[in-house]
Parts: sequence; C-alpha cells; structure tokens
Amino acid sequence: MGKKMTGLFSFGLMVVVLIGALKLLNWIPSAVQDGFVREFKTVDEVNSKLGIRDIYIPSYFPQNFKWPPTAICAQTRPYSAIVMEFRDVDRGGVGLTISQVEAGAPFIAGDRIGLSQIREKVIYPLKGRMASLEVGVGNNDEPCSRISWIEGKYRITVSMRSRPFDLLKIAESMLR
Amino acid sequence: MYVAQSFFHLLVSAIIIDGVIRVWKISDPLTTQRFRFMVILFPIFSFPLYQLVNPQRGSIFFRQEALFDSNRWLHLALWGKVPVGIFFLFILFFTSMIFLAQELVPVLHHALESRRGRIDYVRLRDNSAVVRALACLPGEKPEMLVLDDDENIIFSTTGRKAAVYLSSGLVRTLSAEQMQAAVAHEMAHIERSRRPILFVVFLFRIIMFFNPLVLLEFRRATQDEEKICDDMAVSLTGRPHALAETLRKLYGAAGEDDRITEAARISDLRDSLEKYSHSIHIRSRIERLEESPANEGGGWVTFSLALLTIIVINYFVV
Repeated sequence: MGKKMTGLFSFGLMVVVLIGALKLLNWIPSAVQDGFVREFKTVDEVNSKLGIRDIYIPSYFPQNFKWPPTAICAQTRPYSAIVMEFRDVDRGGVGLTISQVEAGAPFIAGDRIGLSQIREKVIYPLKGRMASLEVGVGNNDEPCSRISWIEGKYRITVSMRSRPFDLLKIAESMLR
Repeated sequence: MYVAQSFFHLLVSAIIIDGVIRVWKISDPLTTQRFRFMVILFPIFSFPLYQLVNPQRGSIFFRQEALFDSNRWLHLALWGKVPVGIFFLFILFFTSMIFLAQELVPVLHHALESRRGRIDYVRLRDNSAVVRALACLPGEKPEMLVLDDDENIIFSTTGRKAAVYLSSGLVRTLSAEQMQAAVAHEMAHIERSRRPILFVVFLFRIIMFFNPLVLLEFRRATQDEEKICDDMAVSLTGRPHALAETLRKLYGAAGEDDRITEAARISDLRDSLEKYSHSIHIRSRIERLEESPANEGGGWVTFSLALLTIIVINYFVV
C-alpha cells in the first residue's frame, strides 16, 4: 500500500512538472518575439504593440452594449487577427463579438456566440460590399445573427445574440 | 494542424508513459508493450476526437488559454526570418524517408520474396539430434527445417504453415539446451503471431509515417516483443541462462563492444548506429535473462490512470 501511495505521489509530481514545462515552453516564443496571440487591454495597445493600423470599430452600439470591449485577443503571427468581445449588460455574458482576420487565413473565432442552427443565409449589400448575412438560433434557442464581409485585406465578422437589425446598424457604423 | 498536433500529442504521451514505467518500476514487457501501443495509437485519433468534442478547440481563445500552442513554436522566426516550422517539416520529411527505406520497402520486399522465392531446406529426420533435443519441449512443435549454411541462422515463418528454419552451422554450434532455448523462442513468436496485435499496430503506425517519435516507440514495442518471447521461451524450457548463452553465441560479441565504429560515409554511420542500437538491445535481453528479476507489471488501474492523464493533458495541447 505504501509503495502504491509513493507511486501515486511521484506520478502526481511528474504530471505537475510536465504541466509546468509545457507552460514554460509555451511562454518562451512570446517572450522572444512579438506577435503571438495574447490578450490586450485596449485597442490602442493592439495598435502600438502589434502595429496593426487599420482596426475597424463600430461607432454605433445598442443600449445594452458599451465601449470598450470586455476582452480583446490579437496576434500577427502566423497571420493578423483581432477578436473583440462585448458584454451584454442586460442579459449577462458575451452578446457581441467582432473579429478582423487576414482574408484567407484558417481562422477559427471560437466566438461564444455560435449559431447552432442557421435558418437563413443571404448576400446582403453593405455600403457597396457584398456581405454574407446568417440568421438563426444559438445554443439556448435564442435568436442569433452573423454578418461577414471582406474589407481591404481583412475579413470582418460581427456576431450578435439578437435578431439582425442592431447587427446591421453596428456593421454599417464600422464602414465609411 | 493534424500533423503538428499528433506529433506533440505523441511526445506528451511518450513522456507520461516513460514516467509511469519509471515511477511504478514496471518491468513486465507485456505491460510496457501495451503502454507503448497506447502511445502509438492515441495520437492517430486524438485530434479528430477532440475536434468532435469541441470544434472550437483551434480557436484564438482556446489557443490563448492552452497549455501548449504548437503555432507559437512553428511560427517563431529564427533571426527574424526563418520559421522554426521549416525545420519541423524537414524532420518530418527525413522521418518519412527513413520509414520508407527502413520499414515499408523491406517489408514489401520480404513479402514479395517469400511469395516468389524458394528457400532450399531439408526436413529434419525424426531421430536427428535436434529433434531429440526438442522432444522435451511441451506443446505442439512447428515444422523444423534445416538450411545448408555455415552461418548461425534461425528464424521462423508464421501463418498456416508455421515453421522454424535453422542453419546447419547453428545446429553444429549450439548445445542441446541452447537449441531448445532458441527453438522455444521461435515457437513463442509463432504463438504470438496467432494474435497479430503487433502487425495491426504496424498498420496503424503507417498512418503516422512522418512522425519520428512513432519510429522510436514502435522500435521499443518490437524490442518488448522479443523480451515477451524470451519470457515465453523460459517458461517452456525453465532455463533462462541457456537462452542468454544462446543469444551470446548467435550475436557474437554483441553487448560487450558498444563503441560506435568510425564511419567513412553516412550509410556506414547509419549501419554503425544500427549495430550499436541492436547490441544495446541484445545486452539488455541477456542481462534480463541472467538476472531473472520478477516481472513487475502495472494493473488496469495504472493503465487507465495513464490514459486519462494523456487524454486530459493533450486536450490542452493544440
């Protein structure tokens, strides 16, 4: 029994050391080179640290959302990507995400507003751009919508936990 | 993504399994082989299974929180220009070539040759010294065939017409006890081939032809197979020292001279490394037979704990 406990303890210690080593190895590239994915506090920090000049942000927000974003993740390696999340003050949780990714990049937003069922998908003219508009429901059967279009060298995607009316106003406010 | 993640999943799995074997001092080759199969097979399925469970696993948020994100290393630019990923690709390419040259082509060649070629052999007479020496071995004995060759050769063929081939040189070299040990070892291989788990694992291993760690782990599993057959042979003969002596005779000074000889060319270096690795393996088999330690094996609890740890940790390695 003593031998088993010693073995268990040693095994546990080994797992802890392995996890520590993995975390250390994960940290090293970002310590020696900028550009790997990390969280930022403000969009200005993304601009200054990563040098991404053109960051598209909305000028219109529905009442239940506020600027600044509650979370910003960004990277320039292996490709440029910025994801901003906004908290829904009325319902709680993430209600709006905006992602801006180099067009053609194999990007998975993993946004917390997933459309579990798409009921309608149309091409929507958005101030001269051909945008893809998807309307459906999320995981809890609440209405969700998503719009995506190419802007310069980026693909911009706006997802919202609501019907598309506010979504379209937000998207239009991002464009001149 | 599959290639990079399967590589790192295998690396993490191999580290965990090596740790389990050391921590619990597992010496039973049957158990260590099962653990090695886990290391080889798990990464083949891990990425697709994880993606099925969580399709967002490759997302920017998940990667940001992950224990280890392979993208960071693969896209790290050395001297500001050369991505580390290029060296990774080179390693994968080099491993693929080794797999083709050292494993797949020889296996296919051997399979073709055995269908095409004839081996000139002689059946042993019932009253021959070899047959008399093997009489006390329990169980059904395979067909014993003698090749006219002065070298010490012994091998077996499996399948429906299983047989053990001995060279005439070997028959002259080995004593009755040593002959029993050698044949018992080949009988163990024939018995093991009836449940061809190693062959099935080899087929799956082909899927990971690019992964250098699979090369190493499969080799270790094959070495375990030899030790399993050693144990089975000893259970038939009851004489571990006879088998140890047989290995010494068959492989000459293997294990006593483990210097890597000077190599003039890369192919010589490869042969030299191969001989060195082989001699280390033979030496460990001889020591194991001579010391005859009790086989310590981990039970299913240890196996399950190791597997669970591998699954959980690798989920956070992207």
